[in-house]
Amino acid sequence: MKKLLLTTVVLSTLMSNIAFATQTIKANVNGMVCAFCAQGIEKKMRALSQTQDVYVNLKQRVVAVELKEGQALSNDQVKSIIKDAGYDVTSIEVTDHTVSHIKAELEAKQESK
Amino acid sequence: MYHTRIKTLLTASAVMCSVSAHSAPMGFSESFMAMGDFNNNWRELNMNYATTPRDAFGLGATYMRADDNMKSRTLEEFTYTRLIQRWNLPHAQANLWFQGGIGALQGLDKTLAENHRFDKVMVTPGVQFDYETTRLYFQAAHRLYRATDINHDFTSLRAGFSFYESEYDKTQPWFILEARNMNGLSEKIEVTPMLRLINKNYFVEAGVNNSREPRLNFMYIF
Repeated sequence: MKKLLLTTVVLSTLMSNIAFATQTIKANVNGMVCAFCAQGIEKKMRALSQTQDVYVNLKQRVVAVELKEGQALSNDQVKSIIKDAGYDVTSIEVTDHTVSHIKAELEAKQESK
Repeated sequence: MYHTRIKTLLTASAVMCSVSAHSAPMGFSESFMAMGDFNNNWRELNMNYATTPRDAFGLGATYMRADDNMKSRTLEEFTYTRLIQRWNLPHAQANLWFQGGIGALQGLDKTLAENHRFDKVMVTPGVQFDYETTRLYFQAAHRLYRATDINHDFTSLRAGFSFYESEYDKTQPWFILEARNMNGLSEKIEVTPMLRLINKNYFVEAGVNNSREPRLNFMYIF
């Protein structure tokens, strides 16, 4: 019984940590050269109930989707939305950085060039 | 002779046709796109709905007239737009589009008789090729405007550059130069330098052509 209790406590602590961690899916995208044409990516991503924030960077060819706490979205779903909007994902990763952080990082990178 | 040569060159260079003088002629899947192109001799309004990432169905209305006002045409049509092929490159995108329509043409031709009017069915298949980076733009388009005894085939070439790169949520200004001709209505090659403003929410172009007439284009997705 004690073991069961201990396991439950450990599991809930772990789950709660996962639920409150920031999760952002960051994709590198080919063909994204025009803001007017790329607006479909942002609109489709923002329409998802899991989405907290979206960032699109044309120069660095990056789309970042920050998820709400406790929400999940698979890389394949993100790839599929970007493909339906007319673009190709060349790489994708999950990071614990927020969209604001990624935005600041990429803009600093651009300025240093 | 000079104009005939230029027209031949334009037609040959433009791998094709369709579409108004714009960038992508349809929006993303399940979106509506409104497009307008207006000057003295050519006024066009289109709206389509993208049923898939590659297909859009819509309605269009076009008014066209000859330089001397002796001929005018009004066309209301059902349109279909298809993205035939897209090439997504690291820093560029290229597209090949088909756009076609079928509709009712009402014509006025004063060269045949005073107030000679007619109604015909018109078909308007065409293709467009475009290539774009964040700084450069090129487009070639050719569209047939055909009805019995009527040929108003439309050819256009456009090229331009952006003054600077901009962020996704900022407005980007471009300089665009367009040359176009409509067979059977004007012997002139209409050349129009335009200022294009692209934002994630809108697309507008404005300029003055070589006949000193104003020109305005827009696109909006919702």
